[in-house]
Amino acid sequence: MRPSRLAIATALLITLALPVQAEVPVLTVTGQIARAPVELTQSDLLALPQHRLTTSTTVTDGTPEFEGFLIRDLLAHLEADGETVVALALNDYRIEIPLTDFDEFDVIGALRMNGESLSPRDKGPVWIVYPRDDHRELQDMRYDTRWVWQLVSLHVQ
Amino acid sequence: MIRAPGMRPGRLALYAPFLPLFLICLGPLIFVLAKTSALERDMRIAATENMLWVVTQTQMEVLALTAETAAARRDADQIARRYDLALSRLSLLQEGPQARYLDRLGHGGLAARFSEDLLALDPLDHGQDAALYSALHDLGQTLHPQLNRIANDVMTHEWELSATRLEDYRATQRLIILAVAFAFLAALAISGLLLRDQSRLHRAEVQRLRTSSLLARERGTSAMYRDFAAMVSHQMRTPLSLIDSAMHRLARKGDAVTARDVAERHEVVRNAVRRLTRLVETVLILGRLDNDQLQRRLAPASLEALAGAAQTEAQTHSPQRQIRLVTSGTTTKALCDPYLVAHILDNLLSNALKYSAPDTPIDLRIFGRGGQVACAVVDQGPGIDLMDQPHVFDRYFRGTGQNDGQGTGLGLALARELAEAQGGRVTMETKPGTGSIFTLWLKAAEGARDGRG
Repeated sequence: MRPSRLAIATALLITLALPVQAEVPVLTVTGQIARAPVELTQSDLLALPQHRLTTSTTVTDGTPEFEGFLIRDLLAHLEADGETVVALALNDYRIEIPLTDFDEFDVIGALRMNGESLSPRDKGPVWIVYPRDDHRELQDMRYDTRWVWQLVSLHVQ
Repeated sequence: MIRAPGMRPGRLALYAPFLPLFLICLGPLIFVLAKTSALERDMRIAATENMLWVVTQTQMEVLALTAETAAARRDADQIARRYDLALSRLSLLQEGPQARYLDRLGHGGLAARFSEDLLALDPLDHGQDAALYSALHDLGQTLHPQLNRIANDVMTHEWELSATRLEDYRATQRLIILAVAFAFLAALAISGLLLRDQSRLHRAEVQRLRTSSLLARERGTSAMYRDFAAMVSHQMRTPLSLIDSAMHRLARKGDAVTARDVAERHEVVRNAVRRLTRLVETVLILGRLDNDQLQRRLAPASLEALAGAAQTEAQTHSPQRQIRLVTSGTTTKALCDPYLVAHILDNLLSNALKYSAPDTPIDLRIFGRGGQVACAVVDQGPGIDLMDQPHVFDRYFRGTGQNDGQGTGLGLALARELAEAQGGRVTMETKPGTGSIFTLWLKAAEGARDGRG
């Protein structure tokens, strides 16, 4: 079979265009880290060890399967040193999260839900997800507020 | 009443009245528990839903997008961001819990329709130009009042829910108060019943004890009278038969009776009569003692004189025995009833005479010690067997080997009881093979020390 020139050209164009698309930063980390500020792209986040987590949420039905990086991995990678992290969402929603949460629980920055990438038109590109079903104490309104979706920045302090 | 096997019927009967009370107080409590847990669940869900916040956030994002498209200097990135945010809010409204809530308010499917309308104007598909901005602005203008209406309905619905919840609270509160009151009353009733049963049991127990002690006393008394009757009839028969046989012999001799014969028989009859007299006296005193009718006339009396009288009396009846009175020169008088003391000494002396060899002497020693005056009756008999010693003062007790039919078994018992009736006592010292000493102790008569009388 002989591939058409058009197909080759298209493939080449996509290959070239993709890194350019991936260069768009999706998450900014500031504050007490090794080299602040750090702007992370989707591929940077995907390069971190990926972790799967199935849990119920307060805003969806059933138990979706989430996939993403452990927040503590990201913070360790950036050599974060502090007490809390201020999470900021696309719509300026702000919440302070104690760093101990990430040590005690496998909290992830979910990039995919049920096998599909989270989009900024839904709750993406990053959604902070707690392992709610694995720990009774996480089934609490005080923890529900820390499930930040459309996460755009983290400030370590 | 149905009785469970292996259970004492009393127990079951004890708990049976509490069963309805338990049900009365447990029933409402369980109901209240279920009710409050349902309320708690309801509250948790309601608080998590926070529907008003979700709807107003959507409304705000749509408004922000509308404003952005009408801005004097439009920023493509900013518009794209606002568009995404508005879409994300609308998609949140389409998720299970939120969709069901809106469905209940009659707004089902609205969010999906808004989403479709918005997606029809996707800047990624159409590219951003004035026509798109104008279309987005128009759409925002139509969505805004509709979202406002939804927010309004959500708010009134929340108020209604709150009011219902408050009513539920109040009803639950009333139920709790009722249940607690019931529980309190039931507890009162239970403790009342328990107390009643307790006192009933207590009364029954007291009655039982009283009956059993009465019975024991009755039995003791009847045994005592049986022993008493046996002893008295036996003791009376012996002297009576002695008298009978003496008279019989005199009658048989007829005219051949000599003065010596008469003197011999006379002695036998006199001894027998004396035994009978002592027996009657003992029985009388015993009867009075047991019925608390013993007359005591306590007065200072010389124990030495009383002992002397006893010695003389005993010597008269046992002329061949040596009976000595030994005094230490004390002149202290005893506070006593002379008649009873004479009886005690008579008993102790006849005991000593009976249980010692005819050739051994009996001593009566008078002495005073520590506010007491004593008379010891000392014999040189075989002493009392170790086994018998604790029972010597028991009524009707006869020492081992004393089965000669002589003796009432009352002498020592009576001596001790009569001594105690005068505030004194009788003690015993005995050494097998050496002899026994029975001592009568009496209170010294204070102020009657010297020989005034």
